Amino acid sequence: MADLSTFARFAKIYQPGEIIFSEYEPGDAFYLIQSGSVRITKIVGDLEKTIDILLPPEIFGEMAILEGAPRSATAVSVNQVKVLELNRANFEVLMMGNPQIALRLLRLFTKRIYDQRRRFMILTLDDPQAKIADVFLMLDETETAVGNEGESSERREFKVTLEDVAHWAGMSVAEVQTILGHFQNQRRIEVFPDRIAVKNINDFIRFVNTKRKKA
Amino acid sequence: MPKVATFRANSVIYFQGDASDRIFILQSGQVSLNYSDIETGKEVHDLIQTGEFFGVKSSLGKYPREDNALVLQDAQVLVLTVPEFEQLAMSNTRIILKMLKVFSNQLRRIHKQVENLLEKQEAASAEVGLFSTGEYYLRNRMYSQATYVLGRYLTYYPAGKLADRAGKLLEVAESAFMKYGDGKGPAPAMGGGGAAPPARATKQEAAKPAQGQTLSDTAKEYYNAVSLFSQEKFQDAFKEFKRIAESGEDPEYVPKAAFDMGRTLFMLGQYDIVIRHYTQMVQSMPKHPDLLDILFFLGQSYEKKGDTERAKGFYKKILSMEPDEDAATHMKSRRALKKLEGGGNG
Repeated sequence: MADLSTFARFAKIYQPGEIIFSEYEPGDAFYLIQSGSVRITKIVGDLEKTIDILLPPEIFGEMAILEGAPRSATAVSVNQVKVLELNRANFEVLMMGNPQIALRLLRLFTKRIYDQRRRFMILTLDDPQAKIADVFLMLDETETAVGNEGESSERREFKVTLEDVAHWAGMSVAEVQTILGHFQNQRRIEVFPDRIAVKNINDFIRFVNTKRKKA
Repeated sequence: MPKVATFRANSVIYFQGDASDRIFILQSGQVSLNYSDIETGKEVHDLIQTGEFFGVKSSLGKYPREDNALVLQDAQVLVLTVPEFEQLAMSNTRIILKMLKVFSNQLRRIHKQVENLLEKQEAASAEVGLFSTGEYYLRNRMYSQATYVLGRYLTYYPAGKLADRAGKLLEVAESAFMKYGDGKGPAPAMGGGGAAPPARATKQEAAKPAQGQTLSDTAKEYYNAVSLFSQEKFQDAFKEFKRIAESGEDPEYVPKAAFDMGRTLFMLGQYDIVIRHYTQMVQSMPKHPDLLDILFFLGQSYEKKGDTERAKGFYKKILSMEPDEDAATHMKSRRALKKLEGGGNG
């Protein structure tokens, strides 16, 4: 890990269960975990869902470098957590002295740009069924990238819930349920409590392509 | 080692949808990145400058190429694997910083585009979202989380349409935390539930569920004053608190009212009087259950008066004390202290 001793003055300690920032809160700082773990959660419907558990040396809250946009999720310390709290002002100094962190942030940004672009493409589809099919294509694209490439089968399984799909598609859970039910009747997908299987991903690719305008 | 490759005019270095594992630097010739704009659907041609990187985003982010890299004039490019690129970047942080700036601009732009789309679909604003988040935590008896979030709501939207309710729920959360601790106690009284704000502060219902019907007159007067306070009728609230505190009748409500006199004065901006009042209270009631809050208000008052040294002293004092009674005050103090100390640096 990079030498961060000069940044000790930005260190903050959180006790177990303490909120680092809350969903919807405006933010101007981002964090670098030095020790302990941080749970990223979102309240969906009437459930607090864990999106991710982060460990050192991960970065979170990085969207705040861009603008004081509201936080998109809540960050809570799992155990005693030590973080470096950084903002636009001290960010550049830190990056100059710590290329590893800069590189990690760069990778995070590329991922975020992709996520947002993809989200935009999903949201701009007019056909609700195509929106949902495209959510699966998006999930498949990123999963492919982490090494499922050799898979010959056209079947894909995704560890997602109705709420996840609804979030990505910008639709209500009820709408998503209706459309997934429809896909299920057509035997294009199978819905399990913990995952959804798409039987033929190429079928979805073709379907979405016919619905995407100006492509 | 990075390799140099030559591409003829009209050839394609990579196609949209290709797996991405190489990063390129244009050394000579002309290369154009072609793609259709996701918003307008129009074909965009981005000409790469000599010395410029391309193919970085998809390679680092491990997703398929989003554009076609078309060679317009015979081109020589340096081809790097991702590890080679990283090695290069590590030895020249300026490259990363420059890219971070470019990427953050792109990210900001796409983020805005997505927001615009979502705004049409989702009515819930950040303000309502923050409030609902706090409400969720309180409903689930996660009092310290609720305290944090509702406190943030009041910080960011002190005159917000839900500020009144947030203030009441915050009191419920704080008192339930002190009384029962996180995750314990009866279901908190959430008040109105719908859009209509509850007429009265709900603190006491949560804190004293069993005594609901047998409140003494002093208690009723006290709760009435709390209600005035949360309606921001500070002048009226102060008069009520003062009367209760000076009546000296009720051993439970006199110290409570004395405490509330101070925080009402604080809201009225009477910092000198707050300091006098609370300093006296610390001496006469050193075991007051709200001692930490009293010290916090003292710190805040000194801070308002510009006496940051004294303010810091109070925050530090709080942090040196046992936090079990009210973790929220510790949290607030730590933040306040941080702010004062951070302010000195920048």
